[in-house]
Amino acid sequence: MFKKFTSEEISAQNQVKASVQRKIRQSISEEYPDLEPILDELLPKKSPLIVAKCQNHINLVVVNNVPLFFNVRDGPYMPTLRLLHQYPSIMKMLRVDRGAIKFVLAGANIMCPGLTSAGGALDEEVPAEAPVAIMAEGKQHALAIGYTKMSAKDIKSINKGIGVDNMHYLNDGLWKTLHLD
Amino acid sequence: MAAKPIPQQVLYCPVCSLPAEYCEYGPDFEKCKPWLIKNAPELYPELAKEAADKTAEQLEGLEVSSASKSQGSTSDSKPEEVKKLPGGKVKKKEKPEVVVEKVVRNKRKCVTIIKGLDMFGVKLSDASKKLGKKFASGASVVKGPTEKEQIDVQGDIMYDIVEFITETWTNVPESAIYFMEEGRKVPATA
Ligand SMILES: [Zn+2]
Repeated sequence: MFKKFTSEEISAQNQVKASVQRKIRQSISEEYPDLEPILDELLPKKSPLIVAKCQNHINLVVVNNVPLFFNVRDGPYMPTLRLLHQYPSIMKMLRVDRGAIKFVLAGANIMCPGLTSAGGALDEEVPAEAPVAIMAEGKQHALAIGYTKMSAKDIKSINKGIGVDNMHYLNDGLWKTLHLD
Repeated sequence: MAAKPIPQQVLYCPVCSLPAEYCEYGPDFEKCKPWLIKNAPELYPELAKEAADKTAEQLEGLEVSSASKSQGSTSDSKPEEVKKLPGGKVKKKEKPEVVVEKVVRNKRKCVTIIKGLDMFGVKLSDASKKLGKKFASGASVVKGPTEKEQIDVQGDIMYDIVEFITETWTNVPESAIYFMEEGRKVPATA
């Protein structure tokens, strides 16, 4: 999704109205309750909240020029990997085996067998259409943010095809965009 | 209400920008290596070895070694020492051995590395499968620093590994199994 993303493809950056800002805060705190205690620091009420509109209906939530969250159309907000690395426990995690790492880092979606093999791991609680952190065998930090196409239980039982869409991964365009000017 | 989460510090590589543990998958691992050797030796213990001694005889055997997080720098073992080490076995060069080593990859996770099973005619992919099954863990065949293939098993399995090897591959004698401990190779049969 952000494979070739650069700040040039942002079509508009707008400071959002207070009511919209509240809505964004609320949906983020509902999706990631563990972030609630620091939401005032992350998204200070007094700093302007910018929503940057990008291609393919992607929106970035930007504070002080730093992208913190993104979503597609009006889908759930997902943290950037840099933010997730700071607060790794806010998202449910799925783990791919070592063999899958290079494919994920090339932007490929996550295939079920990479999650169900010996090196993978599934949190059975994860439903379909949920944002998840993609971890990797032998690694401590997330390498991608995913959006599940099927539930963890189905990933296990069906064990075929794409289980999780790869939304954002290390070294993609969003990773490289530390600041928006 | 939930406690206020404390932001974690992640060690990012200034060369490729990725978390240091992912440099090996980055655009140019070679360029990251000098920085990694200095700043993240515990993540890539094999790099220090590689740099310290490119001509080192590859340890031809199964080594099991253990390193703890506080001893990140122990991996720069001197191959000389290793060769002379225990039991006065001087002819190790020709002798097939299995060397098992435990490496702490980051704070809590560790990996047990097994080298040399192939010297006993064991197919590493099969061995990896068996190890993964036996220890209910991720096991994979990876290229080691000396271009030889080794098996990495997630977790600390040092405890049971010798018994498992000798029972599974009966042509591997216990006496040919070594542990790497703090950079030194010691016989598993102590
Ligand atoms: Zn690097």
